[in-house]
Amino acid sequence: MHPEIARLLDQAEQRYLQTNELELFRRYAVSLARRMETYEILRDKEEQIFQPVADRLVAAFPDERQDLLERALKHWLLISRYCGTAMLLSDPDFLALRLNDWMTGFVQTHQTQSIERTLYDLLLQGIKAELSDKHFPLIQPLFEKAKAMLLEETKPQ
Amino acid sequence: MISISNLLKEQQLPGNYFAYDVYVKGDLELGLLENRRGDRLLALPETLISAIYSGLEHETGSAARLVLFNCGKWWGKNFYVRFCEEISDYYGKTISQMEMVQFIQCFQQFWKTMGWGSFELNQDHYQDGFLIIIAKNSPYADQAPKWNRPVCFLEAGILTSFFSQLTGRDLLCLQTTCESLGSDSNRFILGLSDRIKPAEPWILEAQDHETILKNLCKSSQ
Repeated sequence: MHPEIARLLDQAEQRYLQTNELELFRRYAVSLARRMETYEILRDKEEQIFQPVADRLVAAFPDERQDLLERALKHWLLISRYCGTAMLLSDPDFLALRLNDWMTGFVQTHQTQSIERTLYDLLLQGIKAELSDKHFPLIQPLFEKAKAMLLEETKPQ
Repeated sequence: MISISNLLKEQQLPGNYFAYDVYVKGDLELGLLENRRGDRLLALPETLISAIYSGLEHETGSAARLVLFNCGKWWGKNFYVRFCEEISDYYGKTISQMEMVQFIQCFQQFWKTMGWGSFELNQDHYQDGFLIIIAKNSPYADQAPKWNRPVCFLEAGILTSFFSQLTGRDLLCLQTTCESLGSDSNRFILGLSDRIKPAEPWILEAQDHETILKNLCKSSQ
């Protein structure tokens, strides 16, 4: 759950929440329906979004080993699911729990930063094409956060 | 041509199985801690760790170190079995089928989730037959008595047993630096037992890690 909402609910044990505090809760509740819509689109169109990304990735790296490209695609399939969950929870820290100490190690070891970066750009274009203007802004910051964690903290050697 | 539907058919996208927020679960009514498969976990309060040291020292004197090392070996043996089971259940492959980086990531995360601090494997001396393990924030070093020598016998035993089973060779792990002696980390050297043993007196002579490592590499040439 949204960390700020969780904190508010803790306080509600000691006193009734004030109007401005309830406003945060109301905004969260209203936006939840839209978050769920976005989640469902990402879920239902997973393959439809990723297949063109895979095709364009292969075209962009024609000489690269296929297993490395597949590995990068699997990373971002998983990251997309994590971003979806983080969006539902409205909790960007969820991403840090899943990505730090884990995927960063793979990228660092295999030195696949340029593949992952290109894949990220292609994927974001693909997602933007599938989502409407009211849905895309909900997921975009989470993808940006994932990219920052995965690529900016694992500098190529 | 890469088919996404084929990638999605695989049993698992390789996530972080040992991430602490999903790995450790508790049942407050029963007072139990379990991992995500339902295996029991044991929580050791600092007081108990400290009491184990003082109790063992009181009962067995200097043999306390050997007792701790052997407890670690026993612990490591069971840890290896459970670790292998969990890996193959979740990732659908055995440890030997895993690529090295994935195994190390799992092991590091497991170490951290168990509350044993951080863990790093240094392979700079792999060609000489030695692996260096760098562990930090060990609760066992934190609670250890002042023995004026490296004290993480439990961890050394765990690592000895775990990696011996992993490789099928008779390995030994010796600690060369210790947080209890003011070092920034606990360094362990892992290698074939008969090649590591000469370092035991060097540790008692308080030789530093680099010197011990250099001498080990020299004596094995």
